[in-house]
Amino acid sequence: MGLGMKKLLIILAILLGKIAIWLSHLLGKQGSNFPGQVARRIYPSILRELAANINEEIIVITGTNGKTTSTNMMAAIIKEKGYSLVHNQAGANMMAGITAAFVNASDLSGRQRFDYALLETDEANVPLLLQELTPKVLLITNFFRDQLDRYGELDYTINLIKDSVRNTDIELVLNADDPLVVHFQNETGLHCWYVGFANTEYDSFGSMESREGRYCVFCGSELQYERYHYAQLGRFSCPACGSHNPKPNFCGHDLQMNPRISFKVNNIDIKSPYQGFYNAYNILAAVSVSKLLGIQDDTIQRAIAAYQPRAGRMEEFFINGKRVVIILVKNPTGLNQTLSAIVSDKEAKDIFFALNDNAADGRDISWIWDAEMEIINSPEAQIATIVASGLRSGDLALRVKYSGFDTDAIIIKTDLKNGIETVVNKQGRVSYILSTYTALFECRKILVKMQEDSGEILEKQFETEN
Amino acid sequence: MALYTLAHMYPDLMNLYGDRGNLFCLRKRLEWYGHSCSIKSYGLGDNWDCSQVDMIFMGGGSDREQELVYRDLLRKSDRLMAEIESGLPVLAICGAYQLLGSSYHSSDGKLMDGLRFFDFYTRGEEGRLIGNIVLNSKIEGKSISVVGFENHGGRTYFQDSSLEPFGTVVKGYGNNGKDRTEGIRYHNLIGSYLHGPLLPKNPAIADFYIRAMSERKGIEIDMELDDYLENYAHQQVLKKAE
Ligand SMILES: [Zn+2]
Repeated sequence: MGLGMKKLLIILAILLGKIAIWLSHLLGKQGSNFPGQVARRIYPSILRELAANINEEIIVITGTNGKTTSTNMMAAIIKEKGYSLVHNQAGANMMAGITAAFVNASDLSGRQRFDYALLETDEANVPLLLQELTPKVLLITNFFRDQLDRYGELDYTINLIKDSVRNTDIELVLNADDPLVVHFQNETGLHCWYVGFANTEYDSFGSMESREGRYCVFCGSELQYERYHYAQLGRFSCPACGSHNPKPNFCGHDLQMNPRISFKVNNIDIKSPYQGFYNAYNILAAVSVSKLLGIQDDTIQRAIAAYQPRAGRMEEFFINGKRVVIILVKNPTGLNQTLSAIVSDKEAKDIFFALNDNAADGRDISWIWDAEMEIINSPEAQIATIVASGLRSGDLALRVKYSGFDTDAIIIKTDLKNGIETVVNKQGRVSYILSTYTALFECRKILVKMQEDSGEILEKQFETEN
Repeated sequence: MALYTLAHMYPDLMNLYGDRGNLFCLRKRLEWYGHSCSIKSYGLGDNWDCSQVDMIFMGGGSDREQELVYRDLLRKSDRLMAEIESGLPVLAICGAYQLLGSSYHSSDGKLMDGLRFFDFYTRGEEGRLIGNIVLNSKIEGKSISVVGFENHGGRTYFQDSSLEPFGTVVKGYGNNGKDRTEGIRYHNLIGSYLHGPLLPKNPAIADFYIRAMSERKGIEIDMELDDYLENYAHQQVLKKAE
């Protein structure tokens, strides 16, 4: 292929990709794979080509939980510093989505340069992605159970990632508190940076949550935990072979959550409007990677302090005077976090939950049985009604029923709009709207409309998904 | 009011895909029928007597975990098989079902022994069999549909043609994706690939276990539960599969 022909194909791929992005927005289909596929069809190495326009570094973020939040926090820090960046959107995290992010950012010539690329990707997509571009840093947040249904067993996915980084110069940033991440520990030729928490006053010494990594990855013996920070994350060691947490290079200490998070990372003060231990991990990851990139402490501190929760992640609406909170849930750990936040809200409340089983949600919905749903029946929960919605409303209703919840207080409304209206019209002071990924945008749209119709003045403008 | 004891085998090792929901289902239904239920967990090396429980449940795990369980279970296998012969209700899902056969040949060439309760073997083959599944099955003489979700790399083949499958595949793959059989049925034992979990959406099978346990205890269950939500969820999956 001649050089002129190549240039022409690149321009065509970007142009048609951009048109496809514009069309998907018009049709309200954010997170669609179509634009990226169009560009890749026209010029298969378009991603490789555009990734070469990054001046400084490419950072890839993967893991089961927290990748979107930590990626967004990192983006906020890089923007605070005044750098330009390419950054893919939550949910668009396979090859097509990442390609679309570059196409969207680039000018038509395909030669516009950017300082950084922050690419959030699904664990199983890491090997494919590394064939087309080479990041400086790969951040692995943690390995929890939600990938299992799509890719077989977790060990298999971890081994795929291990194989794809072997004999490269990629620097790994790993969670020192996750026993599954320790897989990478004895791999030679890789530079590993560990991030983890010192003892905190929120640690527990035994918990009901299903813990994926309870067995030593090296010898199969049951791990002994001195303490748990959060889920399977904590201080552990193997009584048989002696394997244990690596010492963190970036250590989070003096954690306070009252309820907003503040702590120190290697003595740097960090304050955030976010809540919950899982978000403390997200902040710690974002701060650690930013330190590795050489960004100054005060820039990091300012960006984290100003960074607010995003749309669909505990976003609030006000409809006829009632507070309505929308939350994305996608796996047992996330659902446990969400339910414990809901239960600790002192107001009387009703819950709507849309469970879909499209590919982006995971076809297997059995994960709802791995969550500790029983917590909704505790006396302080004050949940009057639960509306089960989405394509798998029946399964959800059953999960709620077998948790011990009163059957008369379970309402099946498979249609989203119908379901949301039902819950908002209930007596409770607050409505919680829970949704899996593919129903989230639709639920949010319904709430925006209901808020407008109810004439509430927006207290503040929320960032939209784009 | 009687106390039913359910044994949950190796819950730490063999609990993929929400299978513990089967036990939650049995416990609640037993309570709704006016009885009480205790779920006892047994792990590696625990001493236990299978004649002291009313039912055994075991789910699936990864290859490594399955090997640990095999070694542990082998020591108890004679007693266990004798109890199964005399009608002990057992539900074995996925990996636990595979363990009941003679062997498991993994796709990377490893050969793992099974407990040899039944003459079938499982072979790991290219590609996992994943998706919603619908079966036709016969429970207590009645023909019923069974719905669930399957996700397995292993294919199970019967070597003894007198073995009775749990059901006939209407939609999905089943034992091996070829002969339309799914699972195994023997006295009050069901081995199956069906996750979902199986029992909540298939109340007829949950009640089959409850009646089997009750009969062995000399208890009669003579009331009916309101299964509106159960049937709704069941129908929702049937409709998806059309
Ligand atoms: Zn060990």
